[in-house]
Amino acid sequence: MEVNNSFDPIDIAISGMRAQDKSIGVISSNIANAQSTDGGQGQPYRRLEAVFKAAGDDIGGVTLDEIAADMSELPRILRPGHPNADEQGYVTMPNVDLPIEMVNLTMAARAYQANVAVLKRYQQMVETTLELLR
Amino acid sequence: MSRTSNIVDFLEAGIKAESLRQKAIANNVANLQTAGYRRIDIKFEQLLAKALNSHGAADLDEIRPLIYQPKQTPVKSNGNDVNLETEVGEMVKNTLRHKLFVRLLNKKYLAMEAAINVK
Repeated sequence: MEVNNSFDPIDIAISGMRAQDKSIGVISSNIANAQSTDGGQGQPYRRLEAVFKAAGDDIGGVTLDEIAADMSELPRILRPGHPNADEQGYVTMPNVDLPIEMVNLTMAARAYQANVAVLKRYQQMVETTLELLR
Repeated sequence: MSRTSNIVDFLEAGIKAESLRQKAIANNVANLQTAGYRRIDIKFEQLLAKALNSHGAADLDEIRPLIYQPKQTPVKSNGNDVNLETEVGEMVKNTLRHKLFVRLLNKKYLAMEAAINVK
């Protein structure tokens, strides 16, 4: 006898919520480091992006594949007084664009809500089935 | 030992396991920020399936729910592996299962009552 697991939609919705939660974490890191001229190794902070992957071969929800660095060009601004400025007075800034991050944040929050909506709706469906047992 | 194949006993054991699991989930959520805490879960369905597999009837001691640490979820930097979303999902599943078992039990009792009331 096998243990029946008919709660797959719940697990899938939860996997979506977890993935979006991680995505929001990455976005908040980008926003917090929008001005960090030193990301740890003397280089400016590079914006990060959460990359998702479908879990399993069949219907298995979503997982976080990796948190990849955005390798696009780092902008340089003229700030001669800055301690990280080069000989010409230019400072290399992180490639974080705040408006883009805010849009991504909204999308991640909405996607989270969508997964919660799926979870709630499935819960209602099972409860409807259970009404048959009344 | 008390060996049983009575559906009422199984449902009762299931409801007991479900309320214990609810406690485990509450404990996990309470320790959401506790450093080094590993989430706990209840092993019951596997035990029941195993017991029913081998002889169709189960010893009530065999299917006593067990508390264990799954240690499957990724650990955070503080050594804690509780994830709020996962716990909410487990709680929803647990509630639905609980509802199902209570309703089935109710149906069983109604059938008994109908049998008693035959005139």
